[in-house]
Amino acid sequence: MSKKSKKKGAFIIEREYIDDQRIIEPEHLKLEEVDMSGRWGVLVLPRTIEEFNHSLYEEIKNHPRGRNIHKCWQCGNCTAACPVAEENPLFNPRYFIHIVKMGYKLELEKFKDYIYLCGSCGRCSEVCPKGVDPSGVMEAIGTVLRRYKL
Amino acid sequence: MSDMNTVKISDKEELEIKTEQAKLFERSMFAAKSHLSYGTVEEYLKMLRKMRELEKQGEIEVFHVTDEFEPVTVKTLSGREKKIPTIELWQHKSCGQCGHIPGYVTALYWIMSNLGIPYVDDTNQTSCTAWNYYGSGTSNPVALTAVFLRNMHVAWEKNAYPLIHCGTSYGDYKEVRFLLVMNRDIREKVRAILKKIDRDVVVPEELVHYSEWLHVMRDKIAERRKYDVSGVTVAVHAACHTYKLMPEDYTYSEDILDGIRPAPTTSVALALGAKVADYRNWYDCCGFGFRHILTEREISRSFAYFRKVQPIVKETKADVIITHDTGCVTTLDKSQVVPLAHGYKETIPVLSDSQFAALAMGAHPFIVCQLHWHIADWRNLLNKMGIDWERYKQDYKRYIEEIKKGLRKPDFIKPPSRRLPPRKNS
Amino acid sequence: MRTENPVLIIGGGPAGLRAAVDLSEMGIEVILVEKRNELGGAPVRWKYKTLAPMMRPTEEVMNPLIEHVEKSELVKVYKNSIVEEAKGNAGNFVIRIKNGLDNRVESLNVSAIIVATGFEHFDARIDPRYGYGKNPNVIGIHELEAMLKSGRVVKHDGQPPERIAFIFCVGSRDRATNPWCCTVCCGVSIKQAIELKEILPDSQIYMIYMDVRTFGLWEKLYWKSMEEYGINYIRGRVSEIYYTGEKLLVKGEDTLVRGPFEVLFDMVVLAVGMEPGQGTKQVAKALDLAINEFGFLEPKHPNIHHDSSKEGIFLAGACVAPMSVEEAIAEGSAAAMQVVKLLHRLAKPIEAR
Ligand SMILES: Cc1cc2nc3c(=O)[nH]c(=O)nc-3n(C[C@H](O)[C@H](O)[C@H](O)COP(=O)(O)OP(=O)(O)OC[C@H]3O[C@@H](n4cnc5c(N)ncnc54)[C@H](O)[C@@H]3O)c2cc1C
Ligand code: SF4
Ligand code: SF4
Repeated sequence: MSKKSKKKGAFIIEREYIDDQRIIEPEHLKLEEVDMSGRWGVLVLPRTIEEFNHSLYEEIKNHPRGRNIHKCWQCGNCTAACPVAEENPLFNPRYFIHIVKMGYKLELEKFKDYIYLCGSCGRCSEVCPKGVDPSGVMEAIGTVLRRYKL
Repeated sequence: MSDMNTVKISDKEELEIKTEQAKLFERSMFAAKSHLSYGTVEEYLKMLRKMRELEKQGEIEVFHVTDEFEPVTVKTLSGREKKIPTIELWQHKSCGQCGHIPGYVTALYWIMSNLGIPYVDDTNQTSCTAWNYYGSGTSNPVALTAVFLRNMHVAWEKNAYPLIHCGTSYGDYKEVRFLLVMNRDIREKVRAILKKIDRDVVVPEELVHYSEWLHVMRDKIAERRKYDVSGVTVAVHAACHTYKLMPEDYTYSEDILDGIRPAPTTSVALALGAKVADYRNWYDCCGFGFRHILTEREISRSFAYFRKVQPIVKETKADVIITHDTGCVTTLDKSQVVPLAHGYKETIPVLSDSQFAALAMGAHPFIVCQLHWHIADWRNLLNKMGIDWERYKQDYKRYIEEIKKGLRKPDFIKPPSRRLPPRKNS
Repeated sequence: MRTENPVLIIGGGPAGLRAAVDLSEMGIEVILVEKRNELGGAPVRWKYKTLAPMMRPTEEVMNPLIEHVEKSELVKVYKNSIVEEAKGNAGNFVIRIKNGLDNRVESLNVSAIIVATGFEHFDARIDPRYGYGKNPNVIGIHELEAMLKSGRVVKHDGQPPERIAFIFCVGSRDRATNPWCCTVCCGVSIKQAIELKEILPDSQIYMIYMDVRTFGLWEKLYWKSMEEYGINYIRGRVSEIYYTGEKLLVKGEDTLVRGPFEVLFDMVVLAVGMEPGQGTKQVAKALDLAINEFGFLEPKHPNIHHDSSKEGIFLAGACVAPMSVEEAIAEGSAAAMQVVKLLHRLAKPIEAR
């Protein structure tokens, strides 16, 4: 019988707070004949951001519709106007722009599938005070992520 | 600081950084203005004044650090001077200590006996129950205060000054003493409880953690050093419950860690001649997190390893982590097992300051310091200290065999005889 | 009433200089007392390269004022000096000026007094989290100004920094240190970031801010820094700077992702705030002026800076509240105007009053 729980780390009491990617749950783990497989050998990797990596950001800036991403100052006007964000709390154009700019890889991996939920209605670009064209930036992020098969 | 004052811009030109009007760095000034855990330093000092007033009014008895306890004065974060009793101590043990790292307390007793310091190892001590409180939020201020006062009363009866081994008991007692003094309701309720067990409200003038005792005794300890530890680098972990619960009252010293971080333990290592390494997560918890070790084992151990052990090993050349609380020694030590099984390479022995000092003074690594209970490999450390642990190991094996065969009794560390008589008719 | 007495100005920074220029141009004699051995106040003392928001070289703004004062026959400058004591009242104060170098004391009669003793930088050593004065390459914005002016920004090892963080609100907006906002340090930091980027185009610059307070037209700097210079902004505060022996590990939270960060930097610039310095305290004591809860000089009316708590004594510049050079200069003029008004009133026959 496998010692792996159905959902990774399901037994962790504060499980909801921990991203899947951070949990290492070993199927087989032994040290000096002591079996630590499954629950007993779980490690949770730290979530501290250790690097700002702007490589994706640079590529998005080179995309014709992403070229104004650097103007974003995180006011949240776009998210406030976005119909998708109204429905889906995990879709947040303001947030996507930030994590791309700062290069937070773990976060990007977590949200990669949500970026495509953008309906390209352009509401955000209408309200953006800085001319970022967030709608275009969503498209640019999607394109670049696809390029990396993320 | 001096070498940072100028920056070379070119071969000829230098730029001065920080020139005029350099105010003296005053940690206490920052602290005094800071709002610390319970409010301000002023509030804390107010509490101490109120304690005196209550004593004058006869409402409480204060257990003073009289000259009989040969006190030494230290400075606390609040700038206030605190009296640390040095002899005739009542050993307030820690629950986790005896179970997880028995060498911690025996090393302390051994040091005291070695220095000829009388103390009382009382069997009539109870858990402070803060374990419940911080761990799960059960218990309540009245119950915690009652347990605190009960223990203090026992010590007072014996006329020995409480020396608190556990960081949590120490932090908890500082908190409940604050509540007791500032809150009449608690005082009345507690008095009623104490009456039922024939005891009264006796509040210690000073709450003293054993690490503070080691701190003031460090020079005497260093005098009796047997092994040269100058080749040893230690990384110090200070326990949250000793210096973050009521931080106003823990020991600081201008000449140790710039007076920014607490002095004990680091001071002991330095006095013994060891090097002290700094590391990036100095202020972080050991991972115990109190409730977390119980309910969030996975996070607790991961934190201990990834935030403390790993960076210490990777970034410093430390040979050992020394710390001063039961929970910290246990967590930092035992949490290395799972990561090592996963193939992580970084590992470092973990000792209490008392164990480290006792080893340097020539205590038996197994009979006294009981290193065999520790998980992380301590052999390199002992080699570096010049301790022939192989020989001690053989010796220890023989000792155990002889006990098994009934040829001898286990060695007990006996305190030197007391000079103070217990109080009568209490 | 002796309106022919000169006017005393204490403090030779932007505010005091402007007041001296205005009064002397109106033919009024001025005594200017400056504690230090040079005129110009903070911009000269700390060698500001340019002044925000228009990034004009400091000399363009300060030199005309200093030159005018030094050349004018109507302005007598006492450097290295302080005013020890002032007695009397509007129209006739008897003051004692003490030279700090030779301890010579001189007594003079003056008709009115303008206090323009400015500010001092928050000493970041008081808040140990930054390790300022201990960690190499943790510097204040005033120190960076001097480096920018010299045209070479380098670390302690002489190498240019690659990754630089600015930390806003150091010593400001914090109960443990100074609870007020220094008003200019956001703008000044941003100005410096732009200048840094011009000197070191390949550097990466991060502004760690709680709020960006580029008031009024200073906002332009903020936009420009992002849009033209690619400077990054991280919302959060820093809990600790740890020197690894090589780099500076900055610990903070990016509050927009709700996550702690620990990232290595080569240099950290602290946007140290402004506080009423020893100089202002000294004057408050010597002249017996009211100070507010923060230690700044307290004007008689909260919305009118120039009137002090005493008749005949006027206030101008950063000794009243943190402010920019442009405001300090305007306040200098405003105080000069008040002096003229007072002298005019005193010169009139008693019955006309
Ligand atoms: C790093 C930094 C950069 C800045 N850059 C800009 C900028 O780019 N643009 C901008 O608009 N503003 C800037 N400012 C703000 C600017 O420095 C102040 O607004 C301005 O200096 C205030 O002028 P002041 O005359 O009131 O005071 P100060 O410049 O402080 O001058 C006061 C003078 O009084 C003297 N003095 C003090 N006490 C006494 C005493 N008791 N007796 C005699 N003399 C005394 C002092 O020595 C000093 O010369 C900056 C501030 C900082 C902190
Ligand atoms: S509205 Fe524009 S500036 Fe504001 S967060 Fe969205 S993209 Fe950024
Ligand atoms: S274009 Fe996309 S991100 Fe913008 S408002 Fe519409 S759905 Fe939301």
